Amino acid sequence: MTKSLPFAPLSRRHFLVGTAALGGLAAAGISTRVFAEEPAKPAEIIVRAWGGSWMDALKAGVSDPFTAATGIAVRHDLTEDNEIQPKLWAAIDQGRVPPIHVNWDTTTNATKSALKGYAVDLSDLSNLAGTLDTSKPVGLDGYPIVNTYGYVYVLAYRPSAFPDGAPTSLQVLLDPKFKGRIGLYNDGIGFHFPAQVAGGGKLEDIPANMQPAWDFITKVKAQAPLLGEDPDFTTWFQNGEIDLAVTISTNAREAKKNGIDIAWTVPEEGATYDTDGLWVPKGLPENELYWAKAYVNFALSKDAQQVWCDGLGLPGVVAGLTPPADLVGDPSYPTKPEDLAKLIRIAPQVQVEHESEWFGKFKEIMQG
Amino acid sequence: MPDALAKRLIFGTLVLLVVIVLSLPTIVVLGASFTAGNIIAFPPEGFSLKWYEKIALAADLRNAFGRSLLVALVCTLIALPAGTLAGLAFAKYRLRFTTVLQTYLLLPFTVPLIGSGIALMLVFGQMRLLGQVWPVGLAACIINLPFMIWAVSSSALGLDPDLEWAAQSCGAPPVSTFLYVTLPAVMPGVISGGLLMFILALNEFLVSLLLTDARTVTLPVQIYNSIRSIITPDLAAVSVVFIAAAAFFVFVLDRLVGLDIFLKSK
Amino acid sequence: MRPTTSRYPLIWRVLDGLEAAAARLWPRRFTRATPVLMLAPSLLLVLLLVIGLVELGDSSLRELDTSTFRLSATWTGANYLKIATSGLYWTVIWKSLFGALVVTALSLILAFPYAYMMVRTRSGLLRKLLLVALFLPFFIGQVVRAYGWLIILGNQGVVNDLLGLVGVAPVRLLYNYPAVLFGLVQYMLPFAVLMLAPALTAIPAELEAAAASLGANWVKTLTRVVLPLARPGLIGAGLVVLTLTLTDFAMPAILGGGSQDFIANAIYDQFFRTSDQGLGSALALVLVAIGSLLVGAVFTLFGAGTLAMGRQR
Repeated sequence: MTKSLPFAPLSRRHFLVGTAALGGLAAAGISTRVFAEEPAKPAEIIVRAWGGSWMDALKAGVSDPFTAATGIAVRHDLTEDNEIQPKLWAAIDQGRVPPIHVNWDTTTNATKSALKGYAVDLSDLSNLAGTLDTSKPVGLDGYPIVNTYGYVYVLAYRPSAFPDGAPTSLQVLLDPKFKGRIGLYNDGIGFHFPAQVAGGGKLEDIPANMQPAWDFITKVKAQAPLLGEDPDFTTWFQNGEIDLAVTISTNAREAKKNGIDIAWTVPEEGATYDTDGLWVPKGLPENELYWAKAYVNFALSKDAQQVWCDGLGLPGVVAGLTPPADLVGDPSYPTKPEDLAKLIRIAPQVQVEHESEWFGKFKEIMQG
Repeated sequence: MPDALAKRLIFGTLVLLVVIVLSLPTIVVLGASFTAGNIIAFPPEGFSLKWYEKIALAADLRNAFGRSLLVALVCTLIALPAGTLAGLAFAKYRLRFTTVLQTYLLLPFTVPLIGSGIALMLVFGQMRLLGQVWPVGLAACIINLPFMIWAVSSSALGLDPDLEWAAQSCGAPPVSTFLYVTLPAVMPGVISGGLLMFILALNEFLVSLLLTDARTVTLPVQIYNSIRSIITPDLAAVSVVFIAAAAFFVFVLDRLVGLDIFLKSK
Repeated sequence: MRPTTSRYPLIWRVLDGLEAAAARLWPRRFTRATPVLMLAPSLLLVLLLVIGLVELGDSSLRELDTSTFRLSATWTGANYLKIATSGLYWTVIWKSLFGALVVTALSLILAFPYAYMMVRTRSGLLRKLLLVALFLPFFIGQVVRAYGWLIILGNQGVVNDLLGLVGVAPVRLLYNYPAVLFGLVQYMLPFAVLMLAPALTAIPAELEAAAASLGANWVKTLTRVVLPLARPGLIGAGLVVLTLTLTDFAMPAILGGGSQDFIANAIYDQFFRTSDQGLGSALALVLVAIGSLLVGAVFTLFGAGTLAMGRQR
């Protein structure tokens, strides 16, 4: 899955907040140790990140303040999350030092590495004490991953195609008017669960009985949807190819900031809610492991979270963060329990266990 | 002659069609790189050089370009001797198991690039070669090798066995015969093959994606990785710089040896 | 000081040294093995790939356990069975195969006049122009090039704008099978022309003139004289286009709108999305088998094409 983000550069205020985070290093648990006990510092650590403004947000909120505090440079590896996975696994399998120190990953993807036993347990990070429940990976022992924020797969639409107001239900996808004008992720991600509801099924039946979801997706297939990834959706909205897409909210927000006519909503069937997180691969030298963990710990400090998640336009996992002005009350930025109630959250472990099967089913319908 | 006219008309139309189809994306990318907007669009929104300014200032792009040049150089240097010798072997000798040998040497084309990438990642990983730039060049050489072999063997038409015999019967020893008779005859194939290997290695992306890391990333991989939710015009600008470099290269080549060398057989 | 040697140019002395070294390393009695020695570097290079393929072969015989994301310890044919019994993979394999054949045919038909004109034209300027138009597209990667097509052929693209001028409503030109094939033909054309040109150069122009003077019209000259003589080039170009199309990934991904996958896309999905290296490896090897069988069949039926040109006379 590719990612997108608000294009606007971080404001000066954010930059100052980020720099101020340096003062809070004690809270970040780094300088609390006696210096003599610190393992040798590597010249740099490598953090996998999504490129463009995603990386800019991480750099401003976490990497740059971390470098200022520790003197360790941070290099960002922009390989896609799913494309670095075989590289990481092969390195660990072959007993080589993994090519990155910290992986910024989707929780679903990271769960696979955790199940495989390739992720270091992060339970001893001091800043975990200040985080919300969402930071804990569901169904896994300890913290092989730390979730760092959540996001929503919204129904994005072109307002000019909806003169009577925003669509309220996923049934709009079956309207003949939108034949050939719908965009979905090419692996169906984010769509299976709302489709289960739209097809008349129950969320409790996932994963045992997903037939309602497949029935609904088959009907959508008759509408000749376009399948792609984030850059494709933006291009399609920009070029007038589609009017509707199920996509992560940040993607739609970036398109909007670039002047594309787009809005988004959470339909009555609900919308998939998922998280991203950070994890550290096994096989690093002792001292580099220490500083990799220090980086993750630093990313969980309130100041770092505020700047990083503001850049992303997504709700972080530390209490008391201020949402960006344009997202106050937005359904894609859930802050209250009633917001979260409208969203669908399926345990990552269930997702990865059935991913291959769901993926195959989705492809079979779509390639037919 | 209406006959010749019909031929010229049909061939001319088809060739014009091909030229247009080959050039259109280049023109669009060229135009889009000068846009003043934030999104690739054609016709561009206004005129600006800001995307060129952006890539000129990006040290990571420059470094990645340097590494790509190294990859292309390594690839070409390995491919030239290996491919030339193999191409000559096929052209000069009647080999046993030719079909098997040729099918084997075409494996780089019949294996999908993703498969080659994973396979070479595993092999290079075991040989502890990863983390350096030159193995990427070696990989680029392997996956494009058939081009080099075929370029040489197809230009072996210029190779007259009688000429080699004549040289040897006049007392020329094997190395001299090779350098003064055999090699010059297939030179057009060696040059066009080498050029193709260089260009393809410079642009290689899918296999490099699996063989590079943050410290050894090459330009095409860097470009691909920076495509996120929006395809920004700096990518178009990078492509244009590539095209300009290519045009310059072609110009120099034309001045030095003449472009016609690709078409010469004797 | 050294009158005897300085009279010889340096190059002679270097050559003498080389000859001596060559004679010592490769004595005359080894001559029969010379072709093998010449092939050795290429065989070794491809061997690196083959070693990797053996590893993929091993993975392809192991099944993924999605509760631990490890491949099974023992060998099983489960992945191959899955491919054989799944309608999805049959569809995808058929789409790639058929696509490869169509793209090969179209590329040859379009590349032939281009190569012919490039070789035969008397105008040096035209020849250079054609060469430049051929080489420049190599410098824009497949991904950026495909995005160029999105701009040209999109609903609000240049082509639809032109159609709009004559009153035609926007047509969906992209995100279907023909669009993928079109993108592939465009990508493969330069390769095809480059493989064809040497074969055409080898045909003496006098032969065509002779055929014409004997009363053959141009169609007859083309089909009876030029095309048969150009056969090695056509086979060579055809094989390159066929194999590269069969294994292509970027064009179906970008121009296909997600519903026109080729086998390489299915392989990508298994390696990178569902993290199933076993099934991914099995699919990759099935593709290699199909490709190699096709190549072997072409070699057996039509001869080695360009590869054997030097030996033909």
